[in-house]
Amino acid sequence: MRRKMNSKAVSLALAAATAMTMLAGCGGAATPSQPTDTTASTETQTTETTTEATTDIAASTEEVKVEGYSEAPMLADQVASGKLPAVEERIPNTDNVFVESVDATGGALEVGTYGGVINLGPAGGGWGLSRPSLESIIRYNTDGSYYPNVIKSFEHNDDYTVWTFKLREGMKWSDGEDFNADDITFWYYMCHLSNFDSKKSGWSALKEEVDGEDAWAVLTKVDDYTVTWTFVNPKYPADFIENGDFKWCWAPAHYLADLIPDSEDFPYVENEYWQSTGLSEEDVLSNAQKKNIDAATVKDLGKAVAYNFWNTSGIPTLNSFVLSTVPGNSSKDDTLCIMDRNPYFWKVDAAGNQLPYVDALHFNTTSEEGQDLLMFRSGEIDVIEIAMQDISATLADLGDAATLREWGTTNWGAYQITFNYTNTDENYATLFANSDFREAMSICVDRDQVSQLLTDGFLEPGQCAPAEGNVGYDAEWTSKWTEYNVDKAKSLLEGCGLVMGNDGFYKFADGSDLMITFLAYDGSADESYPVFEQYYKAVGINCALKNLEVSAFDEAVDNNDWVAVMGPHTSIGGASLKDRAAPFVPIAQAAEWYGEYGTFYATKGAQGVEPTGDMAKLVELYDKWRLTSDEAERETYQDQIYQIHKENLWSIAYLKAENSYQLVSSKLKNFADNLVWADCYQYANMAHYEVIFKTE
Amino acid sequence: MEENKLIAFFKRDLVQYIIRRVLMFIPTLLLISILVFFVIQLPPGDYVSAHIAALATEGELVDADYAASMRADYGLDLPVWQQYIKWVKDIIWTPTDSAYYRLYHSHHNWKYSFAYGRDVWSVVNDRLGLTIGVTAIIMLFQYLVSIPIAVYASTHQYSAGDYISAIIGFLGTAIPNFILAIVLMYLSYKWTGNANVGLFTQEMLQNGIHLYNFGDFLKRMIIPIVVIGTSGTCGIIRSVRAQMLDEVAKQYTLTARAKGVSEGKIIMKYCFRAAINPTVSGLGGVLSSLFSGSTVTAMVLNMQIQGPVLYKALQSQDMYLAGAIVMIQAVLVVIGVLFSDIALAFLDPRIRYSGGNR
Repeated sequence: MRRKMNSKAVSLALAAATAMTMLAGCGGAATPSQPTDTTASTETQTTETTTEATTDIAASTEEVKVEGYSEAPMLADQVASGKLPAVEERIPNTDNVFVESVDATGGALEVGTYGGVINLGPAGGGWGLSRPSLESIIRYNTDGSYYPNVIKSFEHNDDYTVWTFKLREGMKWSDGEDFNADDITFWYYMCHLSNFDSKKSGWSALKEEVDGEDAWAVLTKVDDYTVTWTFVNPKYPADFIENGDFKWCWAPAHYLADLIPDSEDFPYVENEYWQSTGLSEEDVLSNAQKKNIDAATVKDLGKAVAYNFWNTSGIPTLNSFVLSTVPGNSSKDDTLCIMDRNPYFWKVDAAGNQLPYVDALHFNTTSEEGQDLLMFRSGEIDVIEIAMQDISATLADLGDAATLREWGTTNWGAYQITFNYTNTDENYATLFANSDFREAMSICVDRDQVSQLLTDGFLEPGQCAPAEGNVGYDAEWTSKWTEYNVDKAKSLLEGCGLVMGNDGFYKFADGSDLMITFLAYDGSADESYPVFEQYYKAVGINCALKNLEVSAFDEAVDNNDWVAVMGPHTSIGGASLKDRAAPFVPIAQAAEWYGEYGTFYATKGAQGVEPTGDMAKLVELYDKWRLTSDEAERETYQDQIYQIHKENLWSIAYLKAENSYQLVSSKLKNFADNLVWADCYQYANMAHYEVIFKTE
Repeated sequence: MEENKLIAFFKRDLVQYIIRRVLMFIPTLLLISILVFFVIQLPPGDYVSAHIAALATEGELVDADYAASMRADYGLDLPVWQQYIKWVKDIIWTPTDSAYYRLYHSHHNWKYSFAYGRDVWSVVNDRLGLTIGVTAIIMLFQYLVSIPIAVYASTHQYSAGDYISAIIGFLGTAIPNFILAIVLMYLSYKWTGNANVGLFTQEMLQNGIHLYNFGDFLKRMIIPIVVIGTSGTCGIIRSVRAQMLDEVAKQYTLTARAKGVSEGKIIMKYCFRAAINPTVSGLGGVLSSLFSGSTVTAMVLNMQIQGPVLYKALQSQDMYLAGAIVMIQAVLVVIGVLFSDIALAFLDPRIRYSGGNR
C-alpha cells in the first residue's frame, strides 16, 4: 500500500495554485492586473482555470453546454402532483446553471442514474454534515487550481481594492425562494458585522488594517446579481478569495430576518440595505424556538443559523443536500441522520440532468471505533475511512464489493515530536535552541525499525517535511537527519554542553537533571512512546510520557507549562501558507513548535515571548508575504520560509506522513481516486457527492 | 397479613415511615448533588476548553477572548460553589418571570447541554422511552429466566440440571459483557453476514417500529438480551438458590410437610417468599438502571440508549447534562430503595417499620 501519491494531484499543487491566484479571477487573462469578466466563458467548473499553468486538469476539460433539463423521478412526481414547480423554473437557465462534467482530478464524469441512498458513518463534529454537501464560493481541484462555484464569477480592479462577485440569475434557496444580492448584504451587515455569527474578528478575509485599526470592507449591491467588496488597501487573493475561512458570504434573509437581535452584544450595524430588527435577545430566542431551533444563548443561535447552518434543520441552504426536518432524523446526533436532495440544486450533469443523483445521504451513528467497518462489511455503510493495516484483510474478504480510494496528504511527516522553545527554564530553552540537540534527537532513532514496529513497514522513514507531490517537497529535506547514528548523537549532545551523569543519563552543565517529559493527549502516544523511549534512553536522554486529556493538554501548552510534546495538537506545516498560515509561522496562540512566540504576535506584543533569530525571520517574511501583490515576490518569501524550516527542523518527524484511505462500495460510481485530504479542500467535499450515483 | 392488620399497617406504620423517609430524601439528595457537581468538575479544564480542543482538531482556531466570552455566557467563569448554588436553585425552582420559563414554560431549569446545544431535559427525554423499554425487556428476561431456574436448582440440588444452570450462570457472570457482545456479533456476522450492530435497521429509524417489522426488532434484541441478561441472572440464581436451600431445611418447612401441606404450597408460599427477600431488596437499583441502561455494553453494541450519552457528556465535560443524568439516577435509586423496603414488608411479615412493642 505504498504511496502512489497524487503526483498530478498535489503535485503542481501550489506552484500552479500560486500562479492561478490571479488567473482564476481573470478568465485566463495573461496579465493579472487586467480585470476581465469571467462570465463570458464560465459554464463549467474548470473553465476559469484553463491556462497552461494548470496542466492536465484544465486541458481535459471542454466547455460543456446543455440543451435542456431532466430531473429525478421523485421530483418529477412532486412536479406532477403540483407540489414543486417544473425543473426549468427551479434552477438557473442554461447560461447560468453550473454544469459539472469533470471531477476534481480532471477525470471525465459518467452521466449517472437517479435514486438510492449513500450511507455514511457518523456525522462527527460540527463540520461533519457539511463535508459531503457544502457548496462554497470557490472550489479547488487537486492541483490547487480553483474555480467559482456558488458565484458565477469574481474579478478585481487593478489595485485589488475592489472585488466584484456576480451571481447566477435564477438560482434559488432549497425552499424555492430566490437567491440574490440581498442575501449577501443580509449576511454581511446583519450576521457577520453584527458578530451574530461570532466570526467578525476571527475572519481576516473581509478585514483590513486602516490607520492601525481594524476596518471592514464596504459591501455594495450593484444590482440583484452583482455585489462589490471595497477595501482601502489592496486585498490580495490569498487573503480574500483563497482564504480558507471565506467559504460563504450569504444567508437566507427571508428565513433569518426575525432571528437577528439588536442588542448590546450584537448591535445593529448601520447600512443602506437593512434596518434594525429592533428585537431583543429574548425575542430572537423565542422566535428561534418557534422554528424548532433550541439555543442556550444568542451566540449559540448565531453559530447555529449563520455559521454551522447545515446542522440546523429547517434552514434553507444552497447545498446539494439539506438536513431532513423529520423528527428523529433531523440532527447530526440522531441515530440515523438524513440529508435529502435539495430540489432546487443549481448544478446539472453534462446531459442536463439535475444533480444530485442520489435521493439522500444517510449518516449512521456508531458509538465505538470499528463498528463502521462491521457495518461496511454488512453493506450498511457505503464509504468508510480505513486504517492502512486493515485494508488488505478487508479487501481480501470483500473482493469486488469494495474499492480502495487513496487520498493524498498535506501533513509534514508522522510520529512527530517538538520542544518548548519558550520554556521558562533557561537550561531547557538554551538546549532546545541548539540545532545540534535536535539533530541528536533525530538521528538517535532507527527509523527502519520504528517503521516496522509501529506501522508494519507501511510508512517509510522520513522527516518533518512536505510530502512528495506537495509544494516545497525537497528530497534532501525529507532525508535530513534521518541516518541512524548513536555515536554521532552522543557527541552532538556533549557538544551541547551536556555532561554524562553516574546514572547513565546526561545532565545540564550546572549538574541539574535533564528530563524530557513528553506530553501527549488522549493516549495518542501510548503505543509509540515505549518504542522511542528505548532509543532516547540508549543515548543517555532521560525521558517520560505524560498523557493528558486533550483539553488539559491544550491548557498546559497555553500556560507554557511543558517541555516537549509527542504528536502535537496543531502540527507544523500543511498544504501552503495561504491555506492556513498559522502552522507555518509563529503568529497565533496555536502550534506547539513556536509556543509563546506565537502568542507575542497574536497579542501584538502584549503577552508571550518576542521571537528572535530565525523565528523572528519567519514573522518578518510572513508580513512581507502578506502585504505584497507581486506573485513572484510572494513565492520567493514562501520559499524562504520553507528554507528556514528546512534548516531548523523545529519539529522532528520519524516517518513520512500517512495518506488517507477510504473503502467505497463498488455500487458507487463517479467516486474519484487520488484526491487530497486537506482542510483547505474541505476533506471529503472534494469527492463531490452530488455527482456520485449508485447502481444496484 | 389479614385484612384489618393490613389496613392498620397502612394507616400507622407505613404512612409515618414514608413521611420520615421522604424527609430524609432532602439531605440525602443535597449531599449527592454536591458530590455529583464537584466530582464532575474535578478533571482539569471545562467544557469550553474541551470544545476548543475539538474545534482545533477540525482546523478551527479560537482566540482567548472568544473562550472567555463563552465562559461568561455559560457562567463557567464563576467560582464553583456559585455555579453549584445556581444549578441547584434553577432545578428546584425557576421563577415565572425568568427568560427560561418564558421560553420553555417549565419551572425546572436543568440548564443546557453544551454539546447538543439544547435544553438538557430534551436531550434526556429523547432516549428515555427507548432506554426504559429496552432495559425493561432485558430485566424481565433476567427475572423470568433466573428465578424458575433457581427454584428448580434448589429443589433438585446436585442434579444434572442444577450443575448445568450453575455452569451457564457462572459463565454469564465471568465473561465480561463487552467480550460476549463482540463474540456474538462476530458469530452473527459469520453466520448471517450481518453483525447486527445497533438496535434498529435504517428502515425502523425512518418509519418507526410497527407490527410488520417487530420481528426484525426482536432479532436485533437477541444479542443485547443475551449479553446483558445473562450477566445478571447468575447472581439472582445463586442468591435465590442458596436462600431456598436454607429455607427448605428449616423447621417450619418440616412441620408444614409433616402436617401434610402440599409440596408446591410449601415451596411457593413459604420458602420462596422468604428466599426472594434479598433479591427484592436489591430492586432499589432497578429504577436507576432502567433509566440509564448498561453503558459499556450499549456502546459495544451501538445501542442508542442513555448510558452512552452520559459517557460522552462526561468525556466532553458537558457538565449540566452529565450532572442531570447522574442526579436523576440518584433520585431514582433513593426512590427505588424506598419501594423495595415497602415491598419487603409485604413479602416478609417479620419486617416492621416502627420500633418496639410488637
